[in-house]
Amino acid sequence: MMDGTAGDSPFRSPVIALDGPDKVTGAARYTFDVTLPGMVHAKVLRSPHPHARIVAIDASRAEALPGVVAVVTGADAIKLPDPYYGVAIRDQPVVGIDKVRYVGDMVAAVAALDEETAYRALALIDVRYDPLLPVTTIDEALAEDAPLLFDAPVAGEPIKLGDGVTSLKEPRPNVLCEFAYTNGDADTVLARSDHLFEDRFRFSRINHFHLEPHVNVARVTGAQIELWSCNQDPFVLRGDIARIFGRPANNIRIHASYVGGGFGGKSFCKMEPLVVLLAMKAGRPVRLCLSLDESLLTLTKHAGILMLKTGVTKDGRLTARKSEIQLDGGAYSDASALTVVKTGYRITGPYRWDAVATRAYAVRTNTVPAGSFRGFGGTQAAFASESQIDMIARRLGIDPYDFRRKNLLAVGEPFQPGDSGIDSDLGSGLDEVVERLGYRQRVRGPVQGHMARGMGLSVGIKDGGGTGNHAQALVKLLPSGRAIVSAAAVEIGQGATTTLSRIAAETLQLPLDWVRYGAIDTDHTPLDNGTHASCGTVVTGIAVMRAATDARDQLLQFAAEQLGCKADELQLDNWTVRRGNFAHPLEPMIVEHFGGAGFEFIGRGMVKVPNNPKAPLSAASLFWMPCWVGAEVEVDRETGKMRVVHLVVGADSGRSVNAVACRGQVEGAALQALGQSLFEELRYEGGEPANATPLKYRVPLAGDLPDCYESFILEHGGPGPFGAKGIGEAGMLGVASAIANAIHDAVGARLAEIPFTPERVLAAIEAM
Amino acid sequence: MTSRVDIAITVNRRLYRLSVPPNRVVADLLREDLMLTGCKIGCDQAVCGACTVLVDGLPATACTTFAFELDGTALTTIEGLSEGGALHPIQRAFLEHSGFQCGFCTPGMILSVKALLDHHRDPDEMTIRQWLGANICRCTGYQMIVEAVRAAAQAMAG
Repeated sequence: MMDGTAGDSPFRSPVIALDGPDKVTGAARYTFDVTLPGMVHAKVLRSPHPHARIVAIDASRAEALPGVVAVVTGADAIKLPDPYYGVAIRDQPVVGIDKVRYVGDMVAAVAALDEETAYRALALIDVRYDPLLPVTTIDEALAEDAPLLFDAPVAGEPIKLGDGVTSLKEPRPNVLCEFAYTNGDADTVLARSDHLFEDRFRFSRINHFHLEPHVNVARVTGAQIELWSCNQDPFVLRGDIARIFGRPANNIRIHASYVGGGFGGKSFCKMEPLVVLLAMKAGRPVRLCLSLDESLLTLTKHAGILMLKTGVTKDGRLTARKSEIQLDGGAYSDASALTVVKTGYRITGPYRWDAVATRAYAVRTNTVPAGSFRGFGGTQAAFASESQIDMIARRLGIDPYDFRRKNLLAVGEPFQPGDSGIDSDLGSGLDEVVERLGYRQRVRGPVQGHMARGMGLSVGIKDGGGTGNHAQALVKLLPSGRAIVSAAAVEIGQGATTTLSRIAAETLQLPLDWVRYGAIDTDHTPLDNGTHASCGTVVTGIAVMRAATDARDQLLQFAAEQLGCKADELQLDNWTVRRGNFAHPLEPMIVEHFGGAGFEFIGRGMVKVPNNPKAPLSAASLFWMPCWVGAEVEVDRETGKMRVVHLVVGADSGRSVNAVACRGQVEGAALQALGQSLFEELRYEGGEPANATPLKYRVPLAGDLPDCYESFILEHGGPGPFGAKGIGEAGMLGVASAIANAIHDAVGARLAEIPFTPERVLAAIEAM
Repeated sequence: MTSRVDIAITVNRRLYRLSVPPNRVVADLLREDLMLTGCKIGCDQAVCGACTVLVDGLPATACTTFAFELDGTALTTIEGLSEGGALHPIQRAFLEHSGFQCGFCTPGMILSVKALLDHHRDPDEMTIRQWLGANICRCTGYQMIVEAVRAAAQAMAG
């Protein structure tokens, strides 16, 4: 571990984001802004039924409408080599084939000369449905004789995992996948524990609400398929398109631009193959830009029910935890298989256990598919776990701070046997929160009239950087010393452009504004596993640093040959090489030797996090992402209305390569979590989404900020370049539980279901 | 739709005489006819504020305003905020205080702030928070935007 307070970091000086000038002047180009000559516009017909068989589709009137170029239905999809997609388990059709499984499911699509004509054509498509009974909640889906979403097993495999883990695909009716992890004999340990606590929590469904809707432009030319996509994972998408259309992946070319927000909503394959299919049929480029209403019906975060059974000794030591976690996966697989694994694995929180037994599964329901959302199950797990830890402390009459302090994992202790050690001083972050919040001097309970105040703490944690992840990168050095960093971590607002460029600039001793982050194009950009799991700074970052180091080594070798000395006698500094007291400018040396257009030194770098079957997730976690939260709330006991007065959120960046971006990530994530805690939710009434429109779907506004909103970043070292680690998802983890714990502190009532609406708060107070 | 309406509008200090279909919205006019793609469309229903432009100095949502409604007015888009290649102090403050992440809401946000600072030279924290209620940012958590607004107000006063 490094001491982050030492003033030796090369990254102390504030940095102006390299993508900033484009973004504040309107010059930034997003996929939203892509137009191609001859491009036509697509719109999608969506199911009005939560569950129905498609009996017949008559698109002839739509096809006959002047201006319509192509209509695509399941009849076209079924002819594809493999018309299904999904992560590990592939059950989602490119467009509805035999059934529709949620309100909003894609049934047909039209490409026309303009969007207006495409909309008119949708109204002319005649679909005959045979409505089926829907299952819209986890309980309905698991009931005996529940209607089945799928009549037969679907394609794919369960996620492969390591020691102590069972991973199953479609183990029971309406269950997509299951993850089970055991360490020791939890039943025996629980039976011997002095106290045993069983609690149940409900987590809500929210949407990503990225402001740039899902947008793709496809062009098919002969054997080549080209896609300009807002997707976070260009190389994953390339693989899916190749498989679905049965073409070699080197004929698929994906272009990525700036992405207007994602948070997981633009990860993995979704409507992209439908756009390609339309472009094939239309014989010209097709753009499909969803409306935000449609994005609300494309993907959500997993709602869920989390049941925890936790044992404690009489002196307040945690012994064992048994959990059963049901996640609502919605109608299709998407990334549920991964989310189930991560929720189940993270449910034990940042604590020491004698034994653990976890079972987590995704349930199929006739609702919007659920998938990646900033933290991948980490927020669900942290809400339940950190709520229960607090409840147990209060039941035992122990201060929740002391209870956490006693049981937190120490630096170096493995999260679970076979996994990596905790790389952050968890107690110090909690102390920082306590200090900033004024927790020790807090006013508890009634303050004036029917108002009450209280404070709550939370320590969320997740593994970071993906599992056994890898990335590749190139750094090109032009004769002038200007550099291009080429990697496929997509700039989604997290600051990848600046952070990765800064890593290269520091390695090459160049000014930051001499480095440009290159355009992403799968034909030319080195492979990346996707913009996920807070992996950009560490995984892609290591690949970039190695590429920069490789370029530097080549350059110094060249200079040594020109100067007739050894490379290790030379030092690089602002595009000169220094040898003793002499400085030799590099540009004239390169131009003179190569002539012509000059020369580019091209450095290559890669990283693969080692696989390890002894680790529960099949690779030791690369780093750990703690989230320390403290909240002070004011609750009106008459109305149930609650206000977060003070919110403190902290995370560990290892060492900040781009401090301002780290702060932005933590504060942005925490406000998303605050919205979900207080009011934000995609609600259903039966099989119908009740508020799936921007007007009714409420996200946090500036006016929702707590009176006092503080963030802090600790730097405890990490495995990335210069000691960095990822931070993007951390700020979301502990917020909901800290607020629930603060409400409990204020009024003695427990909110076990988010969001904490006035109705729920009042009901909890009245139930006391 | 075959009928067209003749309008005269000033966009970023330049006068345009245009013949537009009556259902042409300002966002499409700017993006497709004038290639001013800094105007972003998020929700397309006047909720998110990403498409905010200034009409005679006041914020308006370009996605729900018809082009013909703006006959005789002066429009400012993000592309027109900087003069002679120099960033406007608000743009500079957003840049220096990282008042953006993905950047999709940023043009509309900056134009809203322009209107705010034209009306309140020295807004307090609550005024800023309330004014920004017209613009959704899903990335930043707003605090750094608020700080950028304060810095811009100071720069413009000084």
